Amino acid sequence: MKVEDNDDNMLRIARGRTMKILEKIQSQFTPNNISPSIKVIILMLIVTGIAYPLILVAIGQNIFPFQSNGSIVTFNGKAIGSKLIAQEFNSPKFFHSRPASDSASGLDPHITPTRAFSQISNISKASGIPENTLRTLVELNIERNKNSNLLAFAPDHVNVLELNMELVRQYNQVYSDVVQTSNNNTLHSGR
Amino acid sequence: MTCVDPIVQTSVLFGGSIGMAIIFGLYIARMISYEMRPLEKPLARVEKGFFRLVGIDVNRQMTWKEYLFALVFTDGIVMVFIFIIFLIQGMLPTATPGLKGLSIDLAFNTAASFITNTDLQHYAGDQQLSILTQMIAITFVMFVAPASAMAAGFAFIRAFIRKNFGLGNFYVDFTRNILTLLLPVSFVSSLFLIYMGVPQTLNSSVTIDKTLEGHNQSFTIGPVGSLESIKMLGHNGGGFFGANSAHPFENPNGFTNIYETFLILIIPLAFPIAYAKLVGRGRGIAILIAMLIGFGIMFAIALTAQSGPKGLETRFGSFGTLLFTISSIATNTGATNSLLGGLSPNAVISLFLGMFVQAIPGAAGVGMMTMIVYVLLTLFIVGLMVGKTPEYMSMKISPKDIKLAVFIFLLHPTLILIPTVTAFTTGNAQGVLGREVQGQKITPFGYTQALYEYTSAAANNGSDYLGTSANTPFWNWSTGLVMLLGRFVPLGLMLGIAGSFTAKDRKEVIEPIKTEGPLFISVLVIMTFLLTALTFFPFIIIGPFSMLGS
Repeated sequence: MKVEDNDDNMLRIARGRTMKILEKIQSQFTPNNISPSIKVIILMLIVTGIAYPLILVAIGQNIFPFQSNGSIVTFNGKAIGSKLIAQEFNSPKFFHSRPASDSASGLDPHITPTRAFSQISNISKASGIPENTLRTLVELNIERNKNSNLLAFAPDHVNVLELNMELVRQYNQVYSDVVQTSNNNTLHSGR
Repeated sequence: MTCVDPIVQTSVLFGGSIGMAIIFGLYIARMISYEMRPLEKPLARVEKGFFRLVGIDVNRQMTWKEYLFALVFTDGIVMVFIFIIFLIQGMLPTATPGLKGLSIDLAFNTAASFITNTDLQHYAGDQQLSILTQMIAITFVMFVAPASAMAAGFAFIRAFIRKNFGLGNFYVDFTRNILTLLLPVSFVSSLFLIYMGVPQTLNSSVTIDKTLEGHNQSFTIGPVGSLESIKMLGHNGGGFFGANSAHPFENPNGFTNIYETFLILIIPLAFPIAYAKLVGRGRGIAILIAMLIGFGIMFAIALTAQSGPKGLETRFGSFGTLLFTISSIATNTGATNSLLGGLSPNAVISLFLGMFVQAIPGAAGVGMMTMIVYVLLTLFIVGLMVGKTPEYMSMKISPKDIKLAVFIFLLHPTLILIPTVTAFTTGNAQGVLGREVQGQKITPFGYTQALYEYTSAAANNGSDYLGTSANTPFWNWSTGLVMLLGRFVPLGLMLGIAGSFTAKDRKEVIEPIKTEGPLFISVLVIMTFLLTALTFFPFIIIGPFSMLGS
């Protein structure tokens, strides 16, 4: 009997305490307390959720239009892709990107120098471009990436699209069967 | 050459971020103690306009309960707002045709995830969110969450300045944090990131009819620059894209990688410096050094093995990946520039360590408060050893303070281990892990992924292995709940400690145990690691430690 009484008492006390805390929390829900919360949120939503990104869009589109729109590179006046996004290369005359599932993003536009050098002999065989020339082009590309990363902030790497574009530019004849030259090649931006 | 680059990167990063943290720390100290800031006049004019619009009395001090209520209530409204946006985004006028709202459990998970500064993502932002949602829900809450935590940190530090200094006013701190710190720094950083190649447009996709070889290609784009800077500066970590900072549009090159890491480190390191300015140079610096030692240990463990190349991005390499990831996880930002699966087990162990301790250096505000909790626990234990009444800054640490501190400490393993056990016993972990469960046997890697998910959720970190594969009702509800509890319960208890300390008498005597100097720093670091190790070692032995040999 006594034990049960004790339990009852404990329960009553616990319930009483919980009720008190709930009442206290409820008493906080006064218009005086709530209205600043709501107002501050609406203001911040306008400032940080709407004005801030839109102003940056306006500035970005005007001052850095190339970067703001995804670093789209053109070839013979036509948009052929972003220099930051890997694209598919199947022809044996081209350097190939990493397989999509090999990198973290699946879109890695770069390969390591080792990977680039190891592709040279096959590309040379398929395209007839001398290995030495290919090697020099790869080295120039590495050098360029190194400079754009202030020399010390990235390991050596090769941009596959830029390297292949350079190949097509220098050996137009060799790539005439692979690279399409039709005129209806335009850039579409969707929303 | 291979040796020089990492040294240059490390010294530029740490020289830069500690230098910037000193500037920010002194500025934050002025915000905490309401002293004149640089550019006080124009800043005050802007703030005054806001305060008038919001209708708050700037000079009204709040008790810890009022402060907590204002914080939880404000965050609560924001959470409900973004929850609704996630549900109805398909019906909003500017949405891409065909884009649907998130399911209720995924919307709850995502709302909880962003308001708690966790940014665990069970969705792929580039495929499942509209441009409008990325702006008015994601970017917006990325300011709200860190501003709330920093405000709590301000109130906490005020408790130690002097008796009855007052804890401040939440709305004032919140507004000032956004308007005079997070917003201007994000703005300038966004411009820099856009210049480096991060897109900033209202278009949602780009389609290329013919690539160089003649294929059709399309990819997602949007206002990434404005999101990216506050994602880093505010320790959010939730990417615009599913691939997070591994995506070339979020982190285009090695230099942005270092810059984003720099943004991550500034504010957590600025807090102890503000503390040093306000409550004693030695004490603040002791905390800063303890944080840096912990961070150094994490980094050293991770560097013992080479990560990748599978799962890593070529432009960062192993070192750049680790520099970014360790900084991001140590500050509970949770952004990743690689697949966690591509990291070595050594690196994964160090990531766990950072999330277990939560204070080396931890997220803005929260990391600092957690470190003070460790200081109180250390003083209590050391005080017992030498038979002295534990005191901090000549204030008696009462039994109530210790109870609250222990509660904060024990809540963390509870929120990690109980859900992990539940996930395995109910079969929900096995369902998601798939091939990592061979027959009835769960591999160490499979177990590590589930443990990591809840550790990340409880620490409000946000990095994870599972990603969109954890988009099931069980994982969404459970991690959502863990994130909310892991955020607001410790925050409430810490403000409780602040409420207790602000009313304490300060004796004009020397502290019985000095809370500065090399001896205290070593004791603090050892105690922090010891407490953490005792709690978690059994669980990481069967996880990442067992991956070491395989």
